[in-house]
Amino acid sequence: MTNDQNDGSLQLIVDKFIFTFPQNLQYSEAGLWIRREGIMVRIGLSDFTQQRNGDIAFANLPEAGSVLDAGDEIASLETVKANLSLPSPLKGRVVEANSILRDSPEFINQDPYGKGWLVVLQVEHMERELCKLLDAEAYSSMAKRQAEAELKP
Amino acid sequence: MSQTATYHTTVQWKGEHWGRIRMGNGPEMDFSAPPDAHGHSGVLTPEDAFVAAVNTCVMMMFLWSAERFKLQLISFECHAEGTKRIELDRTEIFTQVTLRPRIVLRTDAAGRESTLKRSQRALDSAVKYSLVANSIKSKLVLEPEIETVLTP
Repeated sequence: MTNDQNDGSLQLIVDKFIFTFPQNLQYSEAGLWIRREGIMVRIGLSDFTQQRNGDIAFANLPEAGSVLDAGDEIASLETVKANLSLPSPLKGRVVEANSILRDSPEFINQDPYGKGWLVVLQVEHMERELCKLLDAEAYSSMAKRQAEAELKP
Repeated sequence: MSQTATYHTTVQWKGEHWGRIRMGNGPEMDFSAPPDAHGHSGVLTPEDAFVAAVNTCVMMMFLWSAERFKLQLISFECHAEGTKRIELDRTEIFTQVTLRPRIVLRTDAAGRESTLKRSQRALDSAVKYSLVANSIKSKLVLEPEIETVLTP
């Protein structure tokens, strides 16, 4: 079930789990959210992906200045349950990595769309790059299909 | 696909208040009720097995999460206490299980604060991801003592 919330988020309820997808963000199929901020984008881990992968123990992020192609690793996360290598959804230059996550990676779980952001990228061909991404509705539908497939007996 | 697994034990009556249990993972042993419930001392009881199930499961999950949080574990010991309440209708319930882990970790002076923080997170994760802790309706209370030993 997907609900439209008053705060502008979509809410997906599967089994006993509730996943939230702000509608002002775009998403990659790999589970990252992307928010445009002028000529830059801020990137983080979606609520769906953080809940599915467990408590984060370490977040390894690229150095500022690194240049990434779409598909290059933008973050590797070590959780209690898994190691995640996340592909950059866009081509760009890393302007900032969230340094607070070095000591407090739990923010990715606690506040995935806020304090738990991962990286800020400067993107050259913004419009061209952003059109490859999913909106909240499309991403929520993909998440629903994945979750329901896993729950099938 | 839904992820499930099954586990098995078999119990058999041996006469009077004695039983024999065969665990799915191999071991076999006699069991009884506690002496104050018409059982025998010196053998497994359901009460001990319940408390032990929580304690062993959380410990095994802690060993895993300590590795994931890159902790250098020197020792781990945990005393667990299950509190039983006898209800007005004479039914009984474990209302609470208290775990008192004593954990010793190696760290350098600069990393001590981070080690202590990660060890608390590892403990919280151990409880969160413990199959048995997740499956009981008793309140679970953690009272950890965490020590660090500084590397020279």
